[in-house]
Amino acid sequence: MTSPKPPIIEAQGIVRSYGDRRGLDGFTLSVPAGSVFGLLGPNGSGKSTFVTMVAAMEPPPSGSLLIFGQPPSTALRRRTGTVFQENAQDPLMTVEEILSLSGKLFGLSRSHIRERGSELLAAFGLATRAHDATGTLSGGMRRRLEMARALLHDPDLLLLDEPTTGVDPDERKAFWQALLERERGTRTVLLATNDLTEADTVCDQVAFIRDGRVITAGSPANLKRDLKRESLHVTWPDATDAQVAELTSWPEAGALSRDGDILRITVDDASAFVPRLFAVAHGGIRAVSIETASLEDAYFLHVGQREARPAAVVSS
Amino acid sequence: MNPVSATLALFARDLRAVIRSRSQLYSSIFTPLLFLVFLGNGVSKGLSPSKLPAGDFTAYLVAGVVVMTSVFSCTFSSASYYRDRDSGLLRMLLSSPHSAGVLLLGKSLAGVLIGSIQALIVLAVASPFVDFRWQYGIIPGVFTAVAVVILLNVILGGLAQAFASRIQTMQGFHLVMNLALFPLLFFSGAFFPIQNLPAWLEVLAHVNPLSYAVDALELATYANGGSGFFGMLPDFAVLIVVAVVIYAVGFTRLPKLTWSGK
Repeated sequence: MTSPKPPIIEAQGIVRSYGDRRGLDGFTLSVPAGSVFGLLGPNGSGKSTFVTMVAAMEPPPSGSLLIFGQPPSTALRRRTGTVFQENAQDPLMTVEEILSLSGKLFGLSRSHIRERGSELLAAFGLATRAHDATGTLSGGMRRRLEMARALLHDPDLLLLDEPTTGVDPDERKAFWQALLERERGTRTVLLATNDLTEADTVCDQVAFIRDGRVITAGSPANLKRDLKRESLHVTWPDATDAQVAELTSWPEAGALSRDGDILRITVDDASAFVPRLFAVAHGGIRAVSIETASLEDAYFLHVGQREARPAAVVSS
Repeated sequence: MNPVSATLALFARDLRAVIRSRSQLYSSIFTPLLFLVFLGNGVSKGLSPSKLPAGDFTAYLVAGVVVMTSVFSCTFSSASYYRDRDSGLLRMLLSSPHSAGVLLLGKSLAGVLIGSIQALIVLAVASPFVDFRWQYGIIPGVFTAVAVVILLNVILGGLAQAFASRIQTMQGFHLVMNLALFPLLFFSGAFFPIQNLPAWLEVLAHVNPLSYAVDALELATYANGGSGFFGMLPDFAVLIVVAVVIYAVGFTRLPKLTWSGK
């Protein structure tokens, strides 16, 4: 991957094994400065393992990892803020206490914690809950508190590991609005997620990950460039391999992937394609939906298999 | 990045957590006092022990109960490691720019202060009701008792934190602590004098750091004219050496802290 901006994170050939299983298997990635960079992959693909290494909480056993041009170290954590996949909060501590403890651990003065904390709580819609125990907050509020905590010491690199998991759409919107309106371009954001729609909306660059490796990387626009304009989702339980092969041979058919009864095909003009499709199917098609081709289609083109499919997509 | 500030922040946080946990706070103080009231009076009146160095059994038991308070308090305080891990707070601590040593020290110091205060409350509550001799005078005796209690809690706090950070489950931690600390309590002179024990138990008492704390506390509060089982100087020397060794070993052999405990 090439980029005009200097890389903030450079990973080269990292291997991390858990017994016989490889969490990272020759993981190579470069994250440019100032970008919102998405790591997209199914559960267990190695996203969180990589985030943990970038957070300098676990050294890479092999390969090389440079953050700000240096190997990960305890001191380097000063420049990173991390939102973990699960909340990092004691439910008996108040919102204010969480920020205060975090600020002190990062060497901030009381007055700075108070000022910056108030500013962030206001930005993330938590100003009125400052004195409440975190155990009384909603799931979305806790995630926003996590974000406020991670930003408190003004890190150069923000690591977000599935930050909106379990958050309802309104909360999710508020979360990203608060972050991106204030922060885009001011720091580098590494977002590990399996929510492709979210990544398509917020990321400048993404990398598709499977089985501990980066399959491909680039901007969402570039990754979608290889696709046709529209995406057909065809429910066709009895499609034979021959029928599918015939579809792929048509020049107007772009990327095609199959997930059980569902065929996903990208095309330039669905209105011309669908009648031909029905003719080939001989009545076997149960439903067809037409959407604009998205990062999700690019993801399935590259990552493909059902077992590698993100949870968010499987349930949709 | 100032490790002292981080240590103090963690110390304050753990302290606040215990103060908010009223059940832990009260039970750590009332349980030892119940020991004194029931076991002390029961044995004193029911068995009339004749081999006690001085005074009645309830007064004798105070030193042991103060040590017992410290043991249980430090154990409970160190269990906060598991609460932090399970609530997720440990993730935040581990992502901060501090080593595992600083994090464990901060948590350990909170345990030391909580254990010391609770033990001294038990001593203070018991004092008006028992026949203490204060052979060095009340003020020197109180200072000595405070110093012993702090030293003892430093040892126990370091030990408990070292165990907590290495044992995966809270249940396992409590089992190991009980297995290690109950025998130490029994062979320390906390519940019965070690002067008249069989030789093999006396050997165990000699290698048991709690014996030196009990001995020093008895010398300060209860004994009348005696020099104790070991003597005040050996008591302090052993307690200081053990405290230094536990923290020195703890810092050179830090566990790999993880938020999953694996």
